[in-house]
Amino acid sequence: MHGSPEEFRAGISGFLGGYYLFLAAMNSVLAFHLWHNKHKVAQACVWVVVTFVLVAIASAAMGGSPPGLPAWLRDDVNAATGPVVYSVGTTALLAVLYLGRRFFVRPMVAWSGLNLALVAMGFSMVDENFASIVTKPDNVPIVGLVFLLGFFTWLATSQAVENDDRAKQGLPPKEKLDNEKVLVWPDLVYTELICMIALTAFLIVWGIALQAPLEAPASSVKTPNPSKAPWYFLGLQEMLVYYDPWMAGVVLPSLIIFGLMAIPFIDFNKKGNGYFTIEQRKFSYLIFQFGFLEMWVTLIILGTFFRGPNWNIFGPFEYWDPHKVLALNNVDLSQYFWVKGMGRGLPKAPPGSGLGTELLWIALREGPGILLLLGYFLALPPLMATTVFRKFFVKMGFIRFMLMSNLLLFMAALPLKMALRWTLNLKYIVSIPEYFLNF
Amino acid sequence: MADKKKMSVAEILAAARKADAAAPAKPVASGEAAEAPAGETAPAPAVKPAAKPPAAKPAAAKPGGARPSVAEMMAAARAEMAASATVAAKMADGAPAKKNDAAPKPSAAVKASPKPAAAVASGPKDTGSILAEARSGVKPGPMSKAEAALKAPAAKPAAKSEKTRIPVPPMPPKPEYAKPKPAPAVTEDRRGFLSVMMGSFLGIGFTCNAIVYGLWTLGTARFMFPNILTEPPSKFKVGFPSNFAPGQVETKFIPQYGVWVVNWEYNGQNEIYALRSVCTHLGCTPNWLEGEQKFKCPCHGSGFYKDGINFEGPAPRPLERYAIHLADDGQLEIDKSKLFQEEIGQWSDPASFVAV
Repeated sequence: MHGSPEEFRAGISGFLGGYYLFLAAMNSVLAFHLWHNKHKVAQACVWVVVTFVLVAIASAAMGGSPPGLPAWLRDDVNAATGPVVYSVGTTALLAVLYLGRRFFVRPMVAWSGLNLALVAMGFSMVDENFASIVTKPDNVPIVGLVFLLGFFTWLATSQAVENDDRAKQGLPPKEKLDNEKVLVWPDLVYTELICMIALTAFLIVWGIALQAPLEAPASSVKTPNPSKAPWYFLGLQEMLVYYDPWMAGVVLPSLIIFGLMAIPFIDFNKKGNGYFTIEQRKFSYLIFQFGFLEMWVTLIILGTFFRGPNWNIFGPFEYWDPHKVLALNNVDLSQYFWVKGMGRGLPKAPPGSGLGTELLWIALREGPGILLLLGYFLALPPLMATTVFRKFFVKMGFIRFMLMSNLLLFMAALPLKMALRWTLNLKYIVSIPEYFLNF
Repeated sequence: MADKKKMSVAEILAAARKADAAAPAKPVASGEAAEAPAGETAPAPAVKPAAKPPAAKPAAAKPGGARPSVAEMMAAARAEMAASATVAAKMADGAPAKKNDAAPKPSAAVKASPKPAAAVASGPKDTGSILAEARSGVKPGPMSKAEAALKAPAAKPAAKSEKTRIPVPPMPPKPEYAKPKPAPAVTEDRRGFLSVMMGSFLGIGFTCNAIVYGLWTLGTARFMFPNILTEPPSKFKVGFPSNFAPGQVETKFIPQYGVWVVNWEYNGQNEIYALRSVCTHLGCTPNWLEGEQKFKCPCHGSGFYKDGINFEGPAPRPLERYAIHLADDGQLEIDKSKLFQEEIGQWSDPASFVAV
């Protein structure tokens, strides 16, 4: 991985010096823009101060002593890192961002957040373990993507908030005002040309600066440890930790695709067509962002940066020790019910019994889980229709509502199963390994 | 048109309509021709109204004498079907007089037009044949009166077949040129095929293309069955049982054979068994962790005890065992072609372990 700590420190110091200088330049450009174009001298002064602070940090880094996080803080973060803290933490963070969106979409607030995130990353990079994960050629693009995703989410949210404000004043959305046609030539073609050149330059720099993430020659008897899917499938790989392969690898991904395809047929809200809005489509917005940001993106981040050897969860500043021991004794629901609850062995067909008898015994063994699943998928939709989703049911009709509620329940099945695994060490609700059927 | 200007679509349509209107009122004529004899020769009142609609309808619907539409054709054909059905029923009911009445007729009717008889014989038909039948009587474009009169019997098969007796003179024998020609000789067919395949440069090109692709496909198929398999043999010897100390997990056969040889206990019995190093979750190869005394999969974190039983992570069932037995020379021999799964009770099979 790395040479000696001194070598690592020298290498990372040079990198961080350039990094902080880049941040300083970024802020100085903003300060100049505020002062020259917007005539906001007070704000410009603040960012000039930030620029000077960053230049000071950069000089310290270039001098060989980049500031880092204190050891106790890193240890605390490592100790706190776990699936429960991670999932609850990301959920809380997204909820805060959503509820305080009116505050966070202000450009200056967002810019401060970006600066804080970048500086925090720079401080963390001083830690060797963190740096080795973040600067891995496989992971660099994912770091970039995280920031890119943050930017686009901010952009969309800020426009939605603006449109919602306009709607409150009875004005049409911003997109309706600016619907003048743009010429393909020269406007669009020039934009595309500039994008092409910029992207090509970026790819050339990337290709020169980063090593190709090659691994050892493939072998059918040796799996790399940890063995990670391509970054865009890490959410699926995380799902596979909690579900049987046919469930997490076939059924749930198909449901994601078909569910997305079904959205136009399920959606009955005519508003928000062609412009950004949150207030007018709160339910759709929340469900989609939950599915995308919470169930897909955070799982990709978890899989990329927090999953180490043997697929254990490691803290961001923790050494990836392949011999880390985590006590995980997972138990099926049938064992919970029969062995722990009733204090007897699992029901088992007498040896030599026929197929029918055997199936009956299996059904008895997995009875609690089967009943639970049937209750979840058959009893919950009518319950939802009569209580929480009463208005939806009236508007959507039986078939559309059933479709939506079942897709919703399948989506909720993943976090539920994760929570059960983390809290109760529950492996499978229905476990029929004899016929490769587990849920 | 006199001027050079192109006609617009509307003008073309108008012209076509005019032409249709000017055409002789054929359906009217046909209706009359069919109906009048029916009324005269067949006094049965029940049949007559049934036979009427097909004749009357086109006349009423198209006073201008335009071509009947598809819907009209179908309606007419269906009404005919109904008429023929009632007629058939009447005949079956037994009116001997009528039967006698009808008996001599088929010869004449068939001679006049073979179609109606066929129509009566084959009961209800599908839409396609009804349409085809109706169309066969309607030539697109204008029609002379004589043509219309000739066509009329064909259009009214049901009414004709039973009830009408048109005084039609017997058809003269077909002249030589009108007789159906014999099917072209087979040899000509073959030449036709050849000329399609090889007659032009395009044909030659496509033929060669097809041949090359066919050969490629065959070659690809052959590629799937190589002459040599470089897989290690499925049966191999791993040494004497005394080489495996109790509690030991031997990992040295992993690189070549993908198998752990373990001397450990299962169900209270000490035995040597061969575990297949493939995770039962998604097929990665777990690692044996000596310090933790467990097999651990790097892909999704499944863990297995030393006896191969799954206890953590998503793996739904224990690792699988290969067949193992003592060979004649006293060495342990593993057979990878046979697998034993714990969850269906195969580990109690004596072929899955060697007791020590």
